Amino acid sequence: MSNDQRQAWFARVMESGLENDIFAPSDVLAHATPDVLASHLPPELLSKVLAASLAAGSMTPERVLETVTPELLAKHLPHEVLWQCIAAAAARAGVNKTVVP
Amino acid sequence: MHRCGCGPRRGEQDGGPVNLKGFFVATLQSALDLGIAVPDDVLRHVTPDVLAAHLPRPLWARLLIACLGAARVDAQLVVETIGMPNLCEHVPAKILWDCIEEIGVRALGGVVFATATAAASRSGAGPGPQSSRPIPLSTPPPPPAVEPRAGGAPAAVGPSIPTPGATGAEAELDASGRPRVPPGQRFRASTTGIGRLAASSSQRRPQAQATPPAPPLSAEPQAASGNAPRVKRGQTEADFDLETYVGGKDDWKNTLAVEDEQLVDWSASDETVTNGDELGRKR
Repeated sequence: MSNDQRQAWFARVMESGLENDIFAPSDVLAHATPDVLASHLPPELLSKVLAASLAAGSMTPERVLETVTPELLAKHLPHEVLWQCIAAAAARAGVNKTVVP
Repeated sequence: MHRCGCGPRRGEQDGGPVNLKGFFVATLQSALDLGIAVPDDVLRHVTPDVLAAHLPRPLWARLLIACLGAARVDAQLVVETIGMPNLCEHVPAKILWDCIEEIGVRALGGVVFATATAAASRSGAGPGPQSSRPIPLSTPPPPPAVEPRAGGAPAAVGPSIPTPGATGAEAELDASGRPRVPPGQRFRASTTGIGRLAASSSQRRPQAQATPPAPPLSAEPQAASGNAPRVKRGQTEADFDLETYVGGKDDWKNTLAVEDEQLVDWSASDETVTNGDELGRKR
């Protein structure tokens, strides 16, 4: 499998998880912490996040993910981070036997 | 753009108030569409026994019809016939998650291991049926640990600072070989002042004899004769200009020498009025 395929799949899984309320934007940011975002997102994307938050007056996980879409998450963040988010959500839902912190 | 927090909340079967089925459908279907997974990966978890236990009879009938009419029955036929939504609707979520977990773990570690495995299998067998095996890599390999040095003592990172108690020869010389001055002598001691004067009153230091300052050099011969004005403090020409020159009393006689013919006899002169009586008689 190519990296593009893997990236597209993780983007789809993240998108589906958010659409189906498997995890919330706050759950995503619990794994994609500010340190992770700052370390991996390109400067222009960080600028967009900050500009959107400044325009709205607050920075919320929902607003962050409106700018950093699942496609961008899968493009820039390590997939291990995204997978931890997915696996933790599955654990919360009771379908994952592995407890993910 | 995704919908954050506004999706339907279903999934009362296994996962509580979330749409687990929709998530499973999207995840597994996209994995198949993108080539992340193959139908064999699904059938490895959704075995015929699982299907027999959970798939409704109408769906079993459809599956049987498709298999009977197909030239080749494989996992792809099963998955396509049942359909991912039906599969995720009836198969327990835990089984589906196990399948997704395997795919995800393999996707994470596939960069390192699966590529080589797939390449090796393709080179030997050619275009065979699509199949993939799970790779037992649950977490990325840890970074290489830094082993401690065998010597025991840690390596010096900063500049080498001699120990305070060093008294050897190397401690007395600096880098250029000059004797090192203890830091305490670089500054004036705090006891300078009256105390120092009182302490040294009995032992007066020998003082050098004061010598008069050398006379300022001048290009004029007069200065060379010793009649040059002495400049106070002998420092600047301005001091000399401000001084009144009173020296050399005999010099004016030489410079204003008058002959006897130039002298005027004031008493013999007719034009000279010497007293008031003579002035009245003339009038």
